[in-house]
Amino acid sequence: MTITRPSHLALAVWAAAILACVLVIARTEFTADMSAFLPRAPTPVQRILVQQLRDGVVSRLILIAIEGAAPPLLAQTSRRMAAELRQLPDEFAAITNGEATTLDRDREFLWRNRYVLSPAVTTGHFSGAALRAALEEDLQLLGSPAGVLLGKILPRDPTGELLRLVGQFEGQARPAVRDGVWFAQDGGRALLVAQTRAAGYDIDAQERALALIRRAFANASDGRASTGQTLLLSGPGVFAVNSRARIKADALRFSVIATALVSTLLLTLYRSPRVLLLGLLPVASGALAGVAAVSLGFGAVHGITLGFGVTLIGEAVDYAIYLFTQVTPGTPPADSLSRIWPTLRLGLLTSVCGFGAMLLSGFPGLAQLGLFSIAGLIAAVLVTRFILPALLPPGFIVRAATGLASKVTALAHSARVLRYPVILATVAAIIILGAQREALWSDELATLSPIAASERTLDEQLRRDIGAPDVRHLVVVDAASEDAALAGSEQISARLQVSIERGHMEGFESAALYLPSAPTQRARQAAIPEPAVLRESLQAAQRGLPFRAGLFEPFLSDAQAAKSQATLTRASLQGTALALKVDSLLAKRDDEDAATTTWTAMLPLRGVTDATGIARDLASTPDNRVTLVDLKRESDALYQTYRREVMTYSLLGAIAIVLLLLASLRSVRRVLVVLAPLAAAVIITFCILASSSNPLSIFHLVGLLLVVAIGSNYALFFERRAANAGERERTLVSLLFANITTLIGFGLLAFSKVPLLHALGSTVGIGAFLSLAFSAVLIARPPGPAMSPA
Amino acid sequence: MTSGGRHSTRHALIALVLAASFICAATAAEDAAWGIEQLMQDLAQIKTARARFVERKYLAMLNAPLDSSGTLVYTAPGRLEKYTRLPKPELLVLDQDKLTIEYRDRGQRRTLALQDYPVIWAFVESIRSTLAGDLPTLNRFYRASLAGSEAQWRLSLKPADPKTQSMVKEILIGGARNRVRTIEITEAEGDRSVMTITEEAP
Repeated sequence: MTITRPSHLALAVWAAAILACVLVIARTEFTADMSAFLPRAPTPVQRILVQQLRDGVVSRLILIAIEGAAPPLLAQTSRRMAAELRQLPDEFAAITNGEATTLDRDREFLWRNRYVLSPAVTTGHFSGAALRAALEEDLQLLGSPAGVLLGKILPRDPTGELLRLVGQFEGQARPAVRDGVWFAQDGGRALLVAQTRAAGYDIDAQERALALIRRAFANASDGRASTGQTLLLSGPGVFAVNSRARIKADALRFSVIATALVSTLLLTLYRSPRVLLLGLLPVASGALAGVAAVSLGFGAVHGITLGFGVTLIGEAVDYAIYLFTQVTPGTPPADSLSRIWPTLRLGLLTSVCGFGAMLLSGFPGLAQLGLFSIAGLIAAVLVTRFILPALLPPGFIVRAATGLASKVTALAHSARVLRYPVILATVAAIIILGAQREALWSDELATLSPIAASERTLDEQLRRDIGAPDVRHLVVVDAASEDAALAGSEQISARLQVSIERGHMEGFESAALYLPSAPTQRARQAAIPEPAVLRESLQAAQRGLPFRAGLFEPFLSDAQAAKSQATLTRASLQGTALALKVDSLLAKRDDEDAATTTWTAMLPLRGVTDATGIARDLASTPDNRVTLVDLKRESDALYQTYRREVMTYSLLGAIAIVLLLLASLRSVRRVLVVLAPLAAAVIITFCILASSSNPLSIFHLVGLLLVVAIGSNYALFFERRAANAGERERTLVSLLFANITTLIGFGLLAFSKVPLLHALGSTVGIGAFLSLAFSAVLIARPPGPAMSPA
Repeated sequence: MTSGGRHSTRHALIALVLAASFICAATAAEDAAWGIEQLMQDLAQIKTARARFVERKYLAMLNAPLDSSGTLVYTAPGRLEKYTRLPKPELLVLDQDKLTIEYRDRGQRRTLALQDYPVIWAFVESIRSTLAGDLPTLNRFYRASLAGSEAQWRLSLKPADPKTQSMVKEILIGGARNRVRTIEITEAEGDRSVMTITEEAP
């Protein structure tokens, strides 16, 4: 292979490419949407899950708690905050804190529409006999303390539809009310729920909403700072905002520290600021190319991908180190480059094979990381290959390399005595890992979440306080229209009643309770008798009972009004808390592939004791668009699928690397020599991680891929025949420095609190160090004239 | 004591009052400073009580009064059971913040969370808090005033909250020493009920 002199053309191409990257990046959207770490091609049920997480009503809820003062003060703050936030209808769709205003509106809605909402309204419900029974019950109720409330409604509702409706919603958990607003059971926290207009994944909007809530709290508790009230916030939006902030902060902090440390080290090594800057050129170009490639490939760049950019400092800076350190006195840099180029190229291709595995992942987040790395490394190598030699000052050599060379060589040489211990350790590690097998891996999706444990605990507490149901089991009904989804829910409700009677669960929620399907509403209207018939039945029923004559005239007119009232729609619920309920239980989904719209009704189940029993009860439903979902099992299954997938792709990547080495080195023995230290490093790293940070996640696996990518460079350079002893020594020094910079970059990441960054940092830190050490230990390559691999 | 009664009557509230009246056969200290505080303290002495009640309700909706009778059982501080026997069996249990109504003949049972029904809450609290001698709770719902003497007193409760005012005008609880004898409720729109409580033979 011939090396052409770096030309003005190369510089021009590079400058244009950089400019293009900057332009692309300037228009790039950066996200911290955690659903990037959920499946790309999931089952329909999982798609609902992901959509709900992204922009469903659930994703728009912010749970707010105020604590640290006496209940009356907390209640006052709650009311003031709610009042201020309700002034911002563009930001918040609803602020609920248990104040009677919304409750009254809900009751008003139920009262006005009782005859179309009540499931009891069927043919015969208003017959003479049925009315007689109802009136006798009324009489009894009048004698009870509840009678005091009955006075107002009895003449309008002798069949007790309102009581029935209210009773239907009573079993559902709700927060306690104190001083007129929601409180936790123990009275220690006032509770509010805010529903934002913006979707949960719109982190900028969520951040704005949180700022408004904090301001409202500051205003509401103004002048009583001494009371020590504190504000607690939780919910998907809060998590997203916090995670983004944390990832941003970690990525920035570790980038800055890593850059500073690596620069200091390289400055000591090169003794030339200009060369230092040149050395950072491949890194910077690679980072730009990586971000631009991800932006073009995925439409948006995830915050975690950016965080990953830090790690590129560790790897891409190596290329310049290899080049600069191996420049020999008296020869132009381009000649040194042509000597190491085949090894460099092979190392790059090995890395690309490794990261290519990630590119295939169904995990958009991992695929982004893969693309970022591949594009970044190729750009960095190209810059090293075509740009750097031309820009290197004439006569530049790394003096420190000469000074250190003999010591490093001696060290590398004596490392050989550790051969057998390393082999023994590897065998031991294989045995340990083999014994643990499946227990090594975490099976829970939650391990990927960037949400801190303390945040999760707070969220669980607030959810319990607010009485939000534990949404683990739900029945999902798909339909082509809103009304069909409601009708489907009604059919399923009948089946679920059977499950309740059989003791498989305690209850369920359904949007159709608040908004029955149009056919059901019409059927109920039809079940109300004609005026004359109803009057006659009522008169017969009243005979012999002490009710005053004409008492039930209002009932007769209300029933007639209900018979001809307009059909209720979602819009009829506007302004009630029931609207929020319906929206969270009924979702519209636009399918990307087909231009169709699917409506999905969700029926969360409560107190499930026998999920298989429920599934059996549902199985007799002819409709195959009904699914019983166990969210926990579903999400964990999802994760396990991913893990297996990543595992498979990693193996494919490994096979690709072996094939690549075979094709390039053309010798099974040489391939084995190169692979031995890599394999030993990966196995021992794996074993160390497994025994220190159990259980391992997908991110550790990705870290091991990176170890292979970086470590293969070391092994290849070690294995390469050097033209003479001097060159060999320079190679060793370059490897040492490359390794130290990698350790700085990744070692710092191990201190991150973001699980992904931490897992990658610790894995690659340990793995890269071991790769170099084991290359020295296991690869015997006496210096001597020989052919470079070509 | 046991709550063996399966009988029923009407107002649980009344029952509470009744219970209070039985138990302590008042060794009333003839204190010169007798007043609402002292009355409450005396009532609080009673830990369990059991009594028969007879209630008559005059309702505008009906053209004849509604009679009922049964047994009341009170257990300090928060539980009151009202077993109505006539005209139809009904069991009403007030326990902490829940009110359960059970119709055994129909196999029906309903539980209300009092916080959802402020008026009913205020209503039942008038009797429960009186029986428990819980003046702070009473003051939270009512403006209370006491008339008469320790031997024959009359406690008047007027709702503090406008919403309850729109339902209940006044609750008059009459008694002697630490026993409650009558509960008279006048609703805002003129409906009225009178409950008479007599200690059950041991």
